[in-house]
Order: sequence, then structure tokens, then C-alpha cells
Amino acid sequence: MSDIFDIAIIGAGPGGMSAALEAAQQGASVAVLDRKATPGGQIYRDVTQSPLLDPSVLGREYTEGAELVRAFLEADIDRHQNADVWHIGENGEVLYSQDNQTRRLVARELIISPGAMERPFPIEGWHLPGVMTAGSAQVMLKSDGMVKDGAIFAGTGPLLYLIVAQYLRLGVTVNAVVDTTPAGGVGRAMQHLGGALRKPAYLIKGLKLLNEIRRAGVPVFRHASNLSILGESKAVGLQFQQDGRTHSINAGHIFLHQGVIPNLNMTRALGMEHHWAEQQLCWTPVLDDWGQSSIPHIAVVGDAAGIQGAEAARHAGRLAALKAMNKLGKLNDADLQQESSANLKAIKSFKAFRSFLDAYYPPTPEHRIPVATNTLVCRCEEQTMGQLRAGFEQGAKDPNALKALTRCGMGPCQGRQCGHTVSELLADWQNKPVSDIGYYRLRSPQRLLSVEELSQFQNIKPVQKPAEVSA
Amino acid sequence: MFRSLRKPETQSVSININGQTVQVAEGSSLWAAMALHGETQTRLASVSGQQRSAYCAMGVCFECLVEINGVPNQQACMTTVEEGMHVSSQHLTEQSIAALHQKESADHE
Ligand SMILES: Cc1cc2nc3c(=O)[nH]c(=O)nc-3n(C[C@H](O)[C@H](O)[C@H](O)COP(=O)(O)OP(=O)(O)OC[C@H]3O[C@@H](n4cnc5c(N)ncnc54)[C@H](O)[C@@H]3O)c2cc1C
Ligand code: FES
Repeated sequence: MSDIFDIAIIGAGPGGMSAALEAAQQGASVAVLDRKATPGGQIYRDVTQSPLLDPSVLGREYTEGAELVRAFLEADIDRHQNADVWHIGENGEVLYSQDNQTRRLVARELIISPGAMERPFPIEGWHLPGVMTAGSAQVMLKSDGMVKDGAIFAGTGPLLYLIVAQYLRLGVTVNAVVDTTPAGGVGRAMQHLGGALRKPAYLIKGLKLLNEIRRAGVPVFRHASNLSILGESKAVGLQFQQDGRTHSINAGHIFLHQGVIPNLNMTRALGMEHHWAEQQLCWTPVLDDWGQSSIPHIAVVGDAAGIQGAEAARHAGRLAALKAMNKLGKLNDADLQQESSANLKAIKSFKAFRSFLDAYYPPTPEHRIPVATNTLVCRCEEQTMGQLRAGFEQGAKDPNALKALTRCGMGPCQGRQCGHTVSELLADWQNKPVSDIGYYRLRSPQRLLSVEELSQFQNIKPVQKPAEVSA
Repeated sequence: MFRSLRKPETQSVSININGQTVQVAEGSSLWAAMALHGETQTRLASVSGQQRSAYCAMGVCFECLVEINGVPNQQACMTTVEEGMHVSSQHLTEQSIAALHQKESADHE
């Protein structure tokens, strides 16, 4: 038995779990590493052990994920939870932290599916205590059954309406929904209507959520713009404009959301080729139809490969596993093509649908590219837009130069909260496309490490199976 | 205040948050345990020293850094509570770290 896994997979969301199931079924030795205590990823977080008495209030899309998680838990896969990966080497080596130890494993093929994060929402006061993301409201609800009454939900996109609806079903009060989706959505998304019509059920679901919110009597302010958080040392309210008038609403808690973007740090630290996806306004790794990246033994699937949602992530996971089996010499070319065709087709129709959503719910420029000089861009090193502008005027024209000059992106979050804003600001100031500007150069480790865990080291190898022991 | 809708039959563990011993649900995240006890301050902003609190609850913003059993820079939202855990809000700033270094080098002289 080899000390090396055939395939290591990072992330146990729908993308990673589907890849693992397919690879295991095809007879590969598979290790899956996930930093959370339980598999499921963002969408199916804690679905098999919900803290809620009746998890069905979270919706069928959530509860149906239990089937995938159970199949994953029963399959012949080396599962490692609480395993936080912070380095991937050229040679298939993976280093991660688990139980206060540094652990290492090696695999011939790697499939990474670290998912998405919410798009930063750099407006005045977004760093104040009391401001969180709408995704955080959902995380707290799914994992801990914890809720906050009387909050404002502000921004755009289906996930925003989903969490508000979940709150209302549970009797949690919602102060207001401040919707930044610009007017004229259908017109704007018209050219992608064909894509939308291929997934009518999803379209109807979005409308239903909004109706549910309105029927519950929650004030909904549509087409709101120029959001800012009120408060000095903590949030006390939200100010915005609607129909040319300025409104302010008092609230001690505000949940913001304007869509999700790929979790970039792992693919960037690997030196993988990326491009600026204009439609999704985010950096995305360059991949082929099977998720194969510019690095020969590494594939990227799920939302980390570009935002397509949970179902598309399942198809992509399976495709990457099939391709890995092909590269390992365990699946011939003809079988690869045949096995892949249904998944390739499915992904195409999800992409078409996503184009419609992206056009319908755009994150507006004023909430991505700050104009107020005192808006914090880098929360860790506390660099405002004005300070970054000054650095730019001193000659820092690209993200790395600006980082060296102002320290933006050097704090513990390693640029996760400011990287996209910095790329877009620099593009805006130079009137250049974002693709010409680039992104921070990142390196391992992708987390803060303690000397203690580095001093404790262990190699992890595939578990020997009985059949192989006797052979 | 945050409130909990957790099933009543959940087991609890006892942890210490900023000097106060409290009972929290077994398996809960440290951030949730803190928030449910009104302890929402996590770290201080490193330059201005302003109070900060959790922002993303999913491990990407690093606003929830706290000290756990004396070790600083731990993400409260990514940590599961354990019996006997000692947690405190983190007071490290650029200034306090510089002062600490100064004191250390003075002590060595
Ligand atoms: C906060 C949030 C809430 C969401 N809620 C919904 C929802 O309710 N419905 C919906 O349709 N979509 C939701 N989404 C969108 C979601 O991204 C996709 O639907 C789907 O979960 C994507 O699957 P995935 O496999 O690509 O990634 P994910 O499901 O995100 O899984 C990625 C996994 O990788 C792990 N991981 C990341 N980095 C590392 C590392 N360094 N080491 C080890 N493990 C790592 C994570 O812990 C996670 O378990 C949400 C997204 C976010 C950010
Ligand atoms: S709250 Fe963002 S990392 Fe913990």
C-alpha cells in the first residue's frame, strides 16, 4: 500500500463531497480535508445535526442536502474535519493544522473546493461593532440556532432574501429590508432571459421569498443607494437614499450582503493563473471544463471556481473526479467523455441561469468602489480610501506597490476583505480595466500559525484496507 | 441581544469569558457563546485601538480574534467551546505590542 493518496480534496461542501464520492466509487484512495467540525460546506452547514427543533423552516434546499452528507459519511473516504489547510506544495504535498498539530499528506491529484465568501461591502462605518454580513446571520442560525431581533438587512441578492425569510418563519423580528438592487432588473438582464427560463423553479423561488417578506409586513425600501452606517464607536443605524430623498433608520444591528465571490487565497497562493470575470466582478482561476487549473495536478471546483451555486458545484465535483481518475490511468478517454457529458451539459445551463442572476442583482459601484475618503478599505491595517489614494498619488499603481507603501492587505485577513476593492479602486483611478491591475501576490501559510502547532508534526497516510493487507 | 433557538435538550459545558464563568451549549462556536452572554467585543483595531466585533462568522475577516487559554489571535467564530476554556477579549494593538517589546529589552539590560 502506498503512502500517497490517489486524490486529496480540500473542502467538504457540495463540490468537495461530490468529487470524493465519485472518486471513492471509482476505487481511488481519497482524503478529504475540511476546516469545519462537520461536513456540508456553507449551504448544508450542520444539516445532519441541526441545533433547531425543526430545521425544515430553513427550506427544502437545505434539508435535502442531508442525503449528500450522509452518503459522504458512509463512503470509503478518509475524512478529516477540523483540518485547516494552509499550504499546498508543487509536489502534491498538503500541510494543515488539526488538534494543535501540523499534519502533512501527499496526493497524486488535488481537487480544491474551498467555496465562496461574501463580497466585501466597503461603506462608511462597515467596520463598527453591530455590523455583520447576512451570511453570518445564516451561519449563526444554522450552526448555533442563534438569532438577532430588530436588525436591518441591507444589500442585494437571493441569499439576502433567503435569510430574512428564514428569520421571519422562526418569529424573529426584522426592522427593515433596504434593497440596493437597481430599478430595471428585467431589462438589464433581458439578454440572459433564455438562461433564466431554463431554470424557472429558481426564478419563482426568488419571487416567492420577496413576497413572503412583504406579506410579513416588514418595510422593504427598494432601489436604495448610497448606504452608510451611522454611529461613532458602534452602529446605531443605517442611512441611505431612495427616490432622491435621504432616509435614516435606527438599529443597533445591520446585516449587509451583496453577493458572494470565490475564496481566492488558496488558488492565489498556489500561483495559479486567474482572470477578472467582468460579469461576476471578481477574480476567478482559469480552468478548463473539468476544473483543471494551470497547475498540472490541481483542479478547482464549486464556487471557488466562479460562483455557480450548490447544484452546479456537485456536477463540477464529479467532473473533476472523473478527470483525476483519467489522469491516474484508471479511466480511459472514451469512458471519460461518456461519463462526463450529462454533467457538462448541466453546468452549461446553470451558467446561463447565473448570467441572469448576476445581471439582475448587481453589486452597485458605489458600494464596491468607495468615494468617501474616510471609508475603511483595509479593516485590519485600518487604511481608508483617502490614505490609499494618497499612496496611489505617491506612485503606487498596482496592488503590491500599494501594499508595500500603505500596509493595506498585510493584516491577519491577508487581503480577503480589501483585495477586490483595491483592484477596482486602482483600475478606476487609472481608467484601466481591472484585468490590467492584478491582485495581491499571496504566499503560504494561509492562516495565523503558532509555534506550538508547528513543533508538533505528523504524517498522514492512507488507511490500509483489509483486502490489501492480505494481498 | 442575540438569542438562542437551540433545542432544549442540549448538554452544556462551562467556560470563563472575561472573568465570568458561564454555561454554554456543548458544540457551540465560541463566538456564539460570547454573543449570547452579551460579550460581543472581540479584538481592538490594531492602529486606532477602537473596539471591534465579529463581522463574517465564517472565518474570513479575522475581526473575531480573542485570547483562548492565554494564546492570542484565535478566531472565536472558528473555535468550538470546550469545558474549562478561558477566553478574553484581545487588547493587543500596535502600541501595546511596541510597549511590550520596549519593556522586554529594558528588562534584559
Ligand atoms: C455564508 C454563506 C452562506 C451561503 N448560504 C447559501 C444557501 O443558503 N443557499 C445556497 O444556495 N447557497 C449558499 N451559499 C453559496 C454557497 O457558496 C454555495 O451554494 C455552495 O455552498 C458552494 O459549494 P462549494 O462546495 O463550492 O463550497 P462550500 O459549500 O463553501 O464548501 C467549502 C468548504 O471548504 C472548507 N474550506 C475552505 N477553506 C479551507 C481550508 N483552507 N482548509 C480546509 N477547509 C477549507 C470550508 O470549511 C467549507 O466547508 C452561501 C455562501 C456563503 C459564503
Ligand atoms: S468573524 Fe470573521 S473570522 Fe471570525
